[in-house]
Amino acid sequence: MTALPPVQPPPSRDPLSEQYEHGRDLLGVETGLDSVDLVQLGESTMELNMGPQHPSTHGVLRLVLELDGEIVRQCKPDIGYLHTGFEKDFERHNYQQCIPYTDRMDYLSPLFNNLGFSLAVERLLGIDVPPRAQYLRVIMCELTRIASHLLWYGTSALDLGATTPFVYAWRDREKLLDINELVSGVRMHTSFIRVGGLLADVPDEFYGLVSEVIKTFPRRIDEHELLITKNPIWRERTIGLGVISAEDAMSYGASGPVLRGSGIPYDLRKAQPYSSYDHFDFDVPIGRNGDVYDRYLVRMQEMRESLKILDQAFNNLPDGPVNSSDRRVTLPPRNEINTSMESLIYHFKLVTEGFRTPVGHVYQAVESPRGELGFYIVSDGSNRPYRVKVRAPSFSNLSALPHMVHGELIADVVAVIGSIDILLGDVDR
Amino acid sequence: MLRGQGSASVALSGETIALPRVGAQERTAVQSGVITTSIEKLIQWGRYSSLWPALFGLACCAIEMMATGASRYDMSRFGAEVFRASPRQADVMIVAGRVSQKMGPVLRHIYDQMPEPKWVISMGACASSGGMFNNYAIIQGVDKVVPVDIYLPGCPPRPEGLLDAIIKLQKKIARERPGSLLG
Amino acid sequence: MTTAHQAEASRPVHGARAAELIARELPDAVLRRGVAYGEETVWIARERLVEVCTLLRDHADGRYRIPLHVTAVDWPDREPDEPRFDVVYQLRSLQHNDTCRLIVRVPEDDPSVPSLEKVFAGMDWHEREAYDLLGITFTGHHDLRRLLLPADWEGHPLRKDYVSFGEPVAFTHNLEWALPEQERPRDLPGETR
Repeated sequence: MTALPPVQPPPSRDPLSEQYEHGRDLLGVETGLDSVDLVQLGESTMELNMGPQHPSTHGVLRLVLELDGEIVRQCKPDIGYLHTGFEKDFERHNYQQCIPYTDRMDYLSPLFNNLGFSLAVERLLGIDVPPRAQYLRVIMCELTRIASHLLWYGTSALDLGATTPFVYAWRDREKLLDINELVSGVRMHTSFIRVGGLLADVPDEFYGLVSEVIKTFPRRIDEHELLITKNPIWRERTIGLGVISAEDAMSYGASGPVLRGSGIPYDLRKAQPYSSYDHFDFDVPIGRNGDVYDRYLVRMQEMRESLKILDQAFNNLPDGPVNSSDRRVTLPPRNEINTSMESLIYHFKLVTEGFRTPVGHVYQAVESPRGELGFYIVSDGSNRPYRVKVRAPSFSNLSALPHMVHGELIADVVAVIGSIDILLGDVDR
Repeated sequence: MLRGQGSASVALSGETIALPRVGAQERTAVQSGVITTSIEKLIQWGRYSSLWPALFGLACCAIEMMATGASRYDMSRFGAEVFRASPRQADVMIVAGRVSQKMGPVLRHIYDQMPEPKWVISMGACASSGGMFNNYAIIQGVDKVVPVDIYLPGCPPRPEGLLDAIIKLQKKIARERPGSLLG
Repeated sequence: MTTAHQAEASRPVHGARAAELIARELPDAVLRRGVAYGEETVWIARERLVEVCTLLRDHADGRYRIPLHVTAVDWPDREPDEPRFDVVYQLRSLQHNDTCRLIVRVPEDDPSVPSLEKVFAGMDWHEREAYDLLGITFTGHHDLRRLLLPADWEGHPLRKDYVSFGEPVAFTHNLEWALPEQERPRDLPGETR
């Protein structure tokens, strides 16, 4: 090996010029080029496996990335690592027994699953839910929406390196989980929304806690936005990234903030209102470019709109029962069981067998924080659903991921996954 | 210290050691294993006071695990807030969530990658026994795949429950012997 | 506050627009139409599926551009008189704020349906999931393999003849088959408490 000539420090401030030329000499590449050029070292791409155990995939998602250097040429998601067989379990249990199962599907916004299922079954049965129950459903669902968006905000900021939003978001989420615990005893999987109404009426402390949320949260959300919205690092890392056009988003079946971030003002709460959402006045935020930053802004604004709905629902909360008066579905009051034979029999039948639904099929969709969560229930007339198909929003949103990360850097894949807000329990069911 | 004296392996408490030219008092102290026991306790204290969990949050229990690490139920009070993404840098694996058939081999793979000493907390009903999912898709308890030290029931267990599991694991580690470190 | 019945009756029937459109443009593709619970379902002949969906997507009166889901319902007791599987498609139109449902019936010995992958990009994963869980094959799909279950899994879990069982749980009434011989207690648990 010949001795290398001594390298002299370059006269100019550009540290690269002379050593670079010297390096290119050694490599045998032609010298004398003006600008820094990428040296083509090879033609093949590298396959990188990301996940299923990964801190930033928001669950057990496996991505097989085909990389050209750091640029993603192809992304193949491999899902199914959380497949739980919910739809098979639904066929084995009666309708009320299915409600706790629905909680665990989209486990960050469990009340929406309950709501979708209950609404579908109520349509099959043709029963009414009293107005107080409808308003309470709206209140609990909007609280869950804020909790879910807060968690999304905390974790996707954490993925990009910002640790403060995580702790802020969780501090506020705890207040919402306290409300969950007050009404149902459980922090997360409340099973609060049942077929025919609710689990039970809310205790007195509920009003204090919810009014505190309504008063303090607008300012807290402003604090959260203050942390990252105008932050140059956040903007650099998210603007113009993961763009999906409105056409493509629709073709993939995307819904929720992914669709609204691309500029389509479609929200099921406005378009096909359920559970008294048409009584409330709120806006639907949309983005312009369909990139990660727009989806982030859409979700932050959605939190504020949820607070508006909460305010209206809470101040106009009607009195009355929280369960439908239809005895096919609702348990009779305890004092009646001691006096009336029919009530006793109804109670017994409902608890042991459950209620039967007429033959038919319905599709009911609700607007969950992730998008359109739909339940397609086929009934054969018995006390168990014959087939329940859950239309999971994250499943369709995730199928658009390869389209969104094509040509992006590998570090940006993490940002895009965070912006879709997937939930593997929903994707895999 | 003791090795340099040319003796055979270091004894645990109670055995006699043949040590050349050691004074009477020192011989008794070493024979009763006072010095080695203190070091064992010290080593175990070091191990349990800074348990670094490997990130293995699968489903809903992972959210409660994150809540335990967040500000209200601070897990760093017990030394366990540093979640390591790489299993090679972790000592405890908190299996938080339901393990599906596809995920089972991955779970074992990650467990195998962790260096000794390692412990497993199976958090939640699904990890402990399959939970409410007694069906084709879920492994009925992760103890079919990895050896478990602490089972934590709940669906999901409260953050205080997870803290209790960590504290019980700490007590369990305090009772254990360091094993191979001192021969 | 109106009752659910009144609200349902006043709302237009979901999917009626799609049914009318298909009946007008491709009348021979329609095998049957039915309305229930405020929703109209159209039964389509298998070979006309791609044509019908392209019409629904592109026609100005339709614009059903969002694929909601594809699934199948297994009715094993209908064989051999009627086909076993009901493959259900659901599409949404944002412009007309409507959802439509199409059903294609396929028999057990030939559970194949033409793939809609070229019509809607999102149908790729939905069809793979239907294949995985129910065994419906989609002809023309570029890569029909299992999505949610491990690649070497045998059987299609959501079929009615697939018995889904994890592990027998031992209660006092089923100790004989839940526990192996050595583990059965000689006395029933609970009696000494």
